[in-house]
Amino acid sequence: MSKFKLPKRFDYKDVNVLKQFITETGKIIPARVTGVSATNQRKLTKYIKIARFLALIPYTDMHK
Amino acid sequence: MKKYEAVIILNPNLSSKVDDFVKDFEKLLKGNSFTINKKEDVGRRQLAYSINNHNKGHYLLFNIEGDATKLIEIENKIKYNDAIIRHLFVSVKNYSGDDSQLLLDSKNKKNEYEESSNKKNNKEELKPISQKDEVKTHKSQIEEVKDNESENSSSDDKNNKDIEDKEDKDE
Repeated sequence: MSKFKLPKRFDYKDVNVLKQFITETGKIIPARVTGVSATNQRKLTKYIKIARFLALIPYTDMHK
Repeated sequence: MKKYEAVIILNPNLSSKVDDFVKDFEKLLKGNSFTINKKEDVGRRQLAYSINNHNKGHYLLFNIEGDATKLIEIENKIKYNDAIIRHLFVSVKNYSGDDSQLLLDSKNKKNEYEESSNKKNNKEELKPISQKDEVKTHKSQIEEVKDNESENSSSDDKNNKDIEDKEDKDE
């Protein structure tokens, strides 16, 4: 159905899963585009933001 | 007692002294009556952006359990340690028994590097992800999803009634 790999439980260490839901510039893709459920989208944003803090995922493509 | 996942990014220049740091850190934890349930040494990893002019970091993961008040003391001591580039403590409901994806990735990379001469792909070996733990940050709380079905059904009824009224008037 969906072209995304969704795990049973989300984790901020799962970089490969989280990378599917950010754009090339590092923005979080809205659920209306990806079709992720509202519950999962809320979890995703939370973990993407944690992963950004830990430098696993970039905030933007403008980093020096 | 609360369960925490600790992520610590060490200065890559001190990679050789990791064992010493881990020993000191464990001492600090035990001194504050924390129990260590699991530790993972992910190793050096490329940072997505440079932190304090470092482009690589040595990642350490700990599963620890202890009091929230003591954790603040630990954090205060860690703050001024130059060896640590960045640290994060996340409170967790349950630990996932499996190894973290970071560790698996780093192992896969090593294998790929070693087997590059054989040109084997390790992508198929990526295990399906099954993490049982529900991670939440310190202050955020889990929000429950409310069912909107009841509202929808009631609005449908109203529409039906309107249509019926119109039909009556027409007659």
